[in-house]
Amino acid sequence: MISATGIDPTAGRHRPPPHLLAALVRHPTGRWGLILTALLLTAAAAGPWFAPHPPNLPDYAAALRPPGPGHWLGTDATGRDQLSRLLDGARRSLGGALVVSAAITLIGLIYGTAAALAGRWVDAAMMRLVDVVLALPGLILAFAVIGLLGPGYVNLLIALIAADWAWKARIARACAQAAVNSPAAEVARHLGVPEWRVVARHILPAVFWPLLVLATLGLGGQIAAISAFSFLGLGVPVPLAEWGAMLAESRFFFRIAPWLLLAPAACIFVSVLAANLLGEALRDLATPEGRS
Amino acid sequence: MPLSTAPEREGRGLVRALLSRLAQAALAALGASLIVWLMLPLAPGDPVDMILSARRIEEPTAAQIAELRARFGLDLPFWRRYAHWLAGVVQGDLGLSWRTGAPVVGLLADRLPATLRLVGLGFVVSLAWSLALALVAARWAGRWPDRLVLAYTRVFAAIPAFVLALLVLQFVVVGLGLGRVLSGGAGLTLALAALVLGIDRAAGWTQLLRAALLAEMARGPADVARARGAPEGRILRVIALPAGLLPWLTAAGMSLGGLIAGAPVIETIFTWPGVGAELLAALSVRDVPVIQAFVLLAVLGYVGASFLVDSLALWLDPRLRDGGRP
Repeated sequence: MISATGIDPTAGRHRPPPHLLAALVRHPTGRWGLILTALLLTAAAAGPWFAPHPPNLPDYAAALRPPGPGHWLGTDATGRDQLSRLLDGARRSLGGALVVSAAITLIGLIYGTAAALAGRWVDAAMMRLVDVVLALPGLILAFAVIGLLGPGYVNLLIALIAADWAWKARIARACAQAAVNSPAAEVARHLGVPEWRVVARHILPAVFWPLLVLATLGLGGQIAAISAFSFLGLGVPVPLAEWGAMLAESRFFFRIAPWLLLAPAACIFVSVLAANLLGEALRDLATPEGRS
Repeated sequence: MPLSTAPEREGRGLVRALLSRLAQAALAALGASLIVWLMLPLAPGDPVDMILSARRIEEPTAAQIAELRARFGLDLPFWRRYAHWLAGVVQGDLGLSWRTGAPVVGLLADRLPATLRLVGLGFVVSLAWSLALALVAARWAGRWPDRLVLAYTRVFAAIPAFVLALLVLQFVVVGLGLGRVLSGGAGLTLALAALVLGIDRAAGWTQLLRAALLAEMARGPADVARARGAPEGRILRVIALPAGLLPWLTAAGMSLGGLIAGAPVIETIFTWPGVGAELLAALSVRDVPVIQAFVLLAVLGYVGASFLVDSLALWLDPRLRDGGRP
């Protein structure tokens, strides 16, 4: 069964190509995903050192300045430098998405592999739980978690992890199941290789690569979700910068200051695009047919 | 004794498969409601404190606390509260809002029709737009219309719905001078909001359907028709489309949850009087009964839509009736 994501858990042939980075550079769209991702991550990591102004310090005398020297992307309604805020916000928008994706991958990997290895009723019980969680559409579950924990950035990240882990766990379990019964694992066991080594060498790698592809494909959605929830006032609290929260703060000034709309929107767009391009390239490279 | 005829057997298989899917849907809804309740103890703080802070009561008296406990049944054990809530749900009672003390049903009943209209119209827009784009792409596969559609879906898949809504508001509504019209006419607001919601979802669905159509166009039946001299457009319509439609519909039905979850933010931006504003007010003060009601409604909508799509698939493709999945 090939799911909508293009990952086929039963095939057991999703492996990284020998030279992943070189293969990505050769891939027609993956190249751009890689370049954009590298640029964005550099900006997020090194941003505070390059930021020309403190991101949260109002300067009412300089309110709503259009882009120009001194303020390359203009200022917002309280005179804060938009470029500095975008750079500062990148850590929350992009960093948060990375944390959520990493956590989901790890939880899915451990939960799915554990279920497949445990087998029998433990496996059945663990997968029933996944089925029940999956009955709730992910983002609806995120709303519920935020509602119970209250608004806030950490709560938002927890909500997004809760929203997506079950799906990854199910795919991880399918991949692990295929790997447990794979000829390579069988042969290794017959040769007397201890079970923990079979798990480490044959099963975990078979689960990890598909999950990594899915995590990259999901990264764009996480970026969009973090900024959307922050836009609604359920994520990053004022005065901290985050791209969605910046859009919410400046909403009623777009008429007179369109740069306050365009710059954060462009940041979100380019980030999601970069993640999608990278994810699609990784998915192509995950299957032997896709590599040609 | 005569053997039962094939259509009769087929009909029975369909009914049995539909009943089993219906049971699955009901179980899913029940499980989802249980999950929301099981998460309740995770919420930090005593429910009474949450109610008090939701109502902005700073220094409650002992009598106030006792009254709230009795009124919301907070002294009862967890399972009895869940059972009580579930019994209420069956009778159309979703409890009382912690914030206002008013019945949640009344709160939502006023606003639900507007949200349903928005999500329903958005769904239709999304289906129609992605069908049109995918057909164009598949008809001229590899040529410029296909490349254009592919580029379009890449761009729109990378624009979150709320950003698209803000851009539309800034450049379409204000740019074309529709601002006055919009504040006066509910129809235009609905149309714009549904367009944004639908167009945003359509990008992913287009990619799915395009891939399915291209795969079908490369398979045996299409090759046979081609060898017999059928024109490409006809092969696409008669052979590839019916085969590719089913997985696409299933995927669309499954991602309807995203459409429902995306509605509150679109409603906020277009000031559409749906449940979104009510939900946001409830979220910011942790008004649990309202949030539970929203989740329940969203799950019912999602499960219901999945059931409809599943039934459609079962009806169209008899192979699925023996427990198989597309």
